[in-house]
Amino acid sequence: MSSQPVLEIRGLDKSFGPVQVLHEVAFSAYAGEVTALVGDNGAGKSTLVKCIGGTYSIDAGELLFDGRPVQVNSPREAADLGIEIVYQDLALCDNLDIVQNMFLGREKKSGLVLDEATMEEMAAKTLDSLSVRTVKSIRQLVSSLSGGQRQTVAIAKAVLWNSKVVILDEPTAALGVAQTAQVLELVRRLADNGLAVILISHNMNDVFAVSDRIAALYLGRMAAQVKTADVTHSQVVELITSGRSGELGLQNVNGVTA
Amino acid sequence: MMRAGPSQEEIRRQNLGALLRHVHLSGPTSRAELTSRMGLNRSTIMALTADLTAAGLVREELPRETGRAGRPSLVVRPESSRVYVLAFDIGVDRLVAARVGLGGVILDRAESPRDRGPFSLGEVSGLLAGFTGQMLKKVGADAVCVGVGVSFSGGVRRLDGVVRFSPNMGVADVPLGAELEARLGLGIPVAVGNDANLGALAEQARGVGAGSRDLIYLHGDVGIGGGIIASGQLLGGHGGYGGEVGHMVVNAGGRPCGCGSRGCLEAEVGERALLEAAGRFGHQVGRDAVRSVVDAADRGDVVAREALLRVGDWLGLGVANLVNIFNPEIVVFGGMLREIYLGAAAQVRSRINTDVLYASREHLRLRTPVLGDDTTLVGAAELAFAQVLADPLDALARVGA
Repeated sequence: MSSQPVLEIRGLDKSFGPVQVLHEVAFSAYAGEVTALVGDNGAGKSTLVKCIGGTYSIDAGELLFDGRPVQVNSPREAADLGIEIVYQDLALCDNLDIVQNMFLGREKKSGLVLDEATMEEMAAKTLDSLSVRTVKSIRQLVSSLSGGQRQTVAIAKAVLWNSKVVILDEPTAALGVAQTAQVLELVRRLADNGLAVILISHNMNDVFAVSDRIAALYLGRMAAQVKTADVTHSQVVELITSGRSGELGLQNVNGVTA
Repeated sequence: MMRAGPSQEEIRRQNLGALLRHVHLSGPTSRAELTSRMGLNRSTIMALTADLTAAGLVREELPRETGRAGRPSLVVRPESSRVYVLAFDIGVDRLVAARVGLGGVILDRAESPRDRGPFSLGEVSGLLAGFTGQMLKKVGADAVCVGVGVSFSGGVRRLDGVVRFSPNMGVADVPLGAELEARLGLGIPVAVGNDANLGALAEQARGVGAGSRDLIYLHGDVGIGGGIIASGQLLGGHGGYGGEVGHMVVNAGGRPCGCGSRGCLEAEVGERALLEAAGRFGHQVGRDAVRSVVDAADRGDVVAREALLRVGDWLGLGVANLVNIFNPEIVVFGGMLREIYLGAAAQVRSRINTDVLYASREHLRLRTPVLGDDTTLVGAAELAFAQVLADPLDALARVGA
């Protein structure tokens, strides 16, 4: 566990027209750790992630990557820094196979033609490093894969590019129990391999099963970012639903002073 | 008698074992890397590799590509297809036999479900011997078996491989090691170990706890077993029955346990406790039954959810006690505890976070096994490899290779 976060956000503000969605949000993600980002619907989780990923511009605040201030103006710039986001819809193409999907838009070429051998080897190596045993052939069409396997491919695609930060948006939302378990183990393994992982989840079991830190957003403000080893289930639920729990959290919610 | 120190011959034997262990656990390794990792000089590594190569335990090859200038260092690979062990996993619901090559490659395996009924030593050893016969037919003429290891869901006497107790198998005092040795007829002693102890060793050797010296592995297979590795050593206790955390009393006067006591961790967290609390006892058994409770809880079934909360709370309490006593770096939830941990993690961790001393939980990692359902089988294979890794040439001579 390193002391300097790979990704750090300070004082981030974001408004859509007259509506301010994020208020002075601070957030950090560390290498080798899973940071769970939790919060009610509309708390600003997706907006925060899209600000990190370069989809939205930020109104105010700083983004630090490896301690250096950076500007992220597009998803391509985020990817160049080593930030990858796996959205809920996974953005996989059903009519392409696993290797084609993993390299979509970033194909390896040797001369004018595609370098299939290198791509196959890189894809296989990546799946292997994640101890993925559920996929039979990497030349399988994505349409033939189960929900859990698709999630696995989408995650493998994100780590293929020597990324440093991987953001997963509700990766277990649509999965059955057996596949949820596999994806959770995969999420954990990403961090154990040294990546900084940000996990957005509504499921408290998933959060407690794999996270090292929990960041709770409440109405666009960061209520608290705590170590998972220091809190209980009910404290996290309180942070999500009321922005505070005892000493933790926002001490001045909605202008009411405790 | 006082001795001045180990003889040259003893040191050489020690080094041969150490080098073989490196290659066995890390896979193909270059001579240069072995030199730096073992802290020996190049000519010693060369001599040791030559001895192991002559014995047919490893083979040296040119690396495929190094991408660096200069003469590439030879890569030492384990002779996985030539040197192998037989590994057996006897669980409550399944019997597995496998042929595992040096380096930990599963070369062949056979598996059969086991009915829950009284354990018959003759029947089980007969079946495993049958599986072995099938597998040995496919083995090349130059291949050599260097050991046999068995993982058993019960307490095993270290001295002679006698199963002393196993409430969930309904068996006590059966000479499993001797019987299996006779049935196999290979003239190789059969080493028997407790499933959770072997699981702990397997996850430490090539799993989620690789490199960790303080690890606790909990294995759920109807009941709950434990393997505790403290300061790099597996705690066996006086007779080899140490680490039976399933029979740690967490709830004085609680649910009756198969061992005769009440309120044992296994009585409160085991398969039966979960299924009874969920009102599903007697329909389905085993991993599928446990999974169906987690699944139902996930879908919003209130009774199943309550059952998982209850079981998760007791599990958290048990782990909290263990963490306070042993201060492990990693706790691994294996067997059906994998499902229970992932399905009730909020409860388990809340309990741990409340009940464990801050300093002891600060760097605690909770994990599920990397080896999945093969953890105990891999542990049995590692047990079988112990001899050849301790003294390679002597072990080969003993099996007549």
